[in-house]
Amino acid sequence: MIQLENLSKKYDEATVLNVASLGIDKGEHFGLVGNNGAGKTTLFSLLLDLIRPSSGKVSINSIEVAKSEDWKKDTAAFIDDAFLIDYLTPEEYFAFVAQLRKISTDELQTFLAQFEEFFNGEILDQKKYLRDFSKGNQKKVGLAAAFIGSPEVVILDEPFANLDPSSQIRLKNFLTAENNLNCTLLISSHDLNHVTDVCDRIVLLEKGAVIKDTPKSPETLKELEAYFSGQ
Amino acid sequence: MNLFSLQWKETFRAPQWEAKVTIKILIGLVSIYFIGAFVFLSSVVYTILNKEVLDREPLEVFNGILLFIFFAELVIRFFLQQLPVTNIQSLILLPFKKRQIINHVMLRSVFSAFNLFPFIIYLPFAISMYRDDYLGSQIFAWWLALLMSTLCLNFLLYIINKNNAYFFALLGFLAGTIALDIYTEIDLGKLVGIPFDAVVKNSEYLLGFALLLVGMYAFLFTFLKKGFYMDAGLAQKKTRARGGEFKMLNFLGEDALILRNDLRMIMRNVRPRQIALMSFLFLFYGLVFFTQDIYRDMEYVMVFAGLFVTGGFTMTFGNYVPAWDSSYYKLLMTQNISYKKYLLSKWNLMAFVTAVSMVLAIPYVYFGWDVLAIIVAGAFFNMGLGTWIALFGGLLNKTPMKLNVKAKAFENTQSFSVTQFALIIPKMVLPVLLYWLPSYFISPIAGFITLAGAGVLAIIFRDKIANGVTVLYKKQKHETIEAFNK
Repeated sequence: MIQLENLSKKYDEATVLNVASLGIDKGEHFGLVGNNGAGKTTLFSLLLDLIRPSSGKVSINSIEVAKSEDWKKDTAAFIDDAFLIDYLTPEEYFAFVAQLRKISTDELQTFLAQFEEFFNGEILDQKKYLRDFSKGNQKKVGLAAAFIGSPEVVILDEPFANLDPSSQIRLKNFLTAENNLNCTLLISSHDLNHVTDVCDRIVLLEKGAVIKDTPKSPETLKELEAYFSGQ
Repeated sequence: MNLFSLQWKETFRAPQWEAKVTIKILIGLVSIYFIGAFVFLSSVVYTILNKEVLDREPLEVFNGILLFIFFAELVIRFFLQQLPVTNIQSLILLPFKKRQIINHVMLRSVFSAFNLFPFIIYLPFAISMYRDDYLGSQIFAWWLALLMSTLCLNFLLYIINKNNAYFFALLGFLAGTIALDIYTEIDLGKLVGIPFDAVVKNSEYLLGFALLLVGMYAFLFTFLKKGFYMDAGLAQKKTRARGGEFKMLNFLGEDALILRNDLRMIMRNVRPRQIALMSFLFLFYGLVFFTQDIYRDMEYVMVFAGLFVTGGFTMTFGNYVPAWDSSYYKLLMTQNISYKKYLLSKWNLMAFVTAVSMVLAIPYVYFGWDVLAIIVAGAFFNMGLGTWIALFGGLLNKTPMKLNVKAKAFENTQSFSVTQFALIIPKMVLPVLLYWLPSYFISPIAGFITLAGAGVLAIIFRDKIANGVTVLYKKQKHETIEAFNK
């Protein structure tokens, strides 16, 4: 589904990312972990063609992201605030994304219904613009919108950060639910528990390089904890 | 020392700092020019009035138009003056008394450059009065009265700023004043002039002005005190979301998507609203030129004026595409929409507003059919080519836009680059040449046809041009995203 070849990103002399080769299969739930500055956001930004690679290329569905815009049809992401339009209400924002993804109003209503618990009654029918929502609620809107139209690839940077504990658990349940099994999901997180719960493959980045790439096993969490505690 | 070094770093590490410093110097020079011009003008006004108006005292005439000077001043202040209200949020928790903070804020607004008005406009006038037979004390009293009136306007602006409706009320009041003057015997300007006449005769009337100023201060003080909580006046205003469906756009289908969003953006954010209002004022730009006979024979001035009448929105809005969308540019760059569609919907909006402006400009036919012809030809040029030139200029503009913050005076120039400056050539010189060359060698009608024809051709080949501009936008994609990320 996603192919990375000789991908690197350098700022002046400093290499912030260098991945020789990485493939992500369809339906894989791919978890990216690493300390600050390891290159997680850089990797996601390269996948979405938001920054220009110093070398190498990225393909989604065999489409090279730097050459064509066609990958956008099958891909959605929520990386940061710059994915929200702050002068829209949540309803208008969802409708905007839905129209871009060619989803009808009825389908959108059905889709949003499954988030009732996650939204906790604080998102819809508030008659407020997104800029007047709290950070946590803004994040919920961005996360839900990323799944509109069941895109084949969804990329989420730090989806659990800024959410309250109940919402984190609800999000985890949603991500692992049956209707997302076919979705190729890429998430990065500092929360080792959540990321190992949601993902079936964990990649560990350090200083821009992949130093661990394993399918999830019962031992994964322990290994990661050992790594991050410096043992 | 530390603060100085911070300021130094802020200046020289800012993106495009060379351009910013150049701009500061340019603004300085322009300000000096304007101050000089105003000082000169107001110092000769008295002499001119003295010669031209024989039946009334020049001072009385001047006092009679003060009302309109006040109006003009308020409008300029409304658009350009930034009041220091929002900066006090950080003080609110510190151990200051509320009273102290409000007084501080109000007094700080007194030290605004806009309050130099009495010194630039009224003082030279007062000095030229001194050469006539007024006493120094009379002149001083008159000037003090004006100084106090200016400060009243300064405080009044706080209240007008709270709500755009007050601004429109003000415009309505102005229209009413003019109408009363034309159709009835009531001359409000004269009425406003009376206290100023009186203060020259008897300086004790100054007390009245002082009372007015104190009253204004007290009123504003209570006004601000009421709103002095984080969740009331000081907070960024939370507006109740309403409207904005624009159902009538549905017939456009998919094309309506970005367009609807742009309309919402303009209606719901302070900065674009300001720009929309300003571009509306461009419609009246022609009144400056078409009413003067000296310009009638200067064809290039006529073409300029014609372009401005319908081109206000294109110039002000187009120059900030894609910066309008800077706060969610990453979303647009990853969503299922192509660059070309994005650009075309911006084009649609600008072309539509230009067409509406053209219709609204029809009354200019009062000044002659040739004036209307030049406006219509200019409108076609603006629609076909002006739009793309503006979009190209916008691409060079890499400063992210804070949508919901009022622009400071000259803020529009902050995202300025030399290349953008060079764009004045295609924007202004090209249409003038398109008109002037055929008009000079063949006939004025050939000029109209060439200018309008260039626009129509560009509209016909819109798709081809869009492809070209799309390539340019794509080339700049990563640089733009990076710049907007700051």
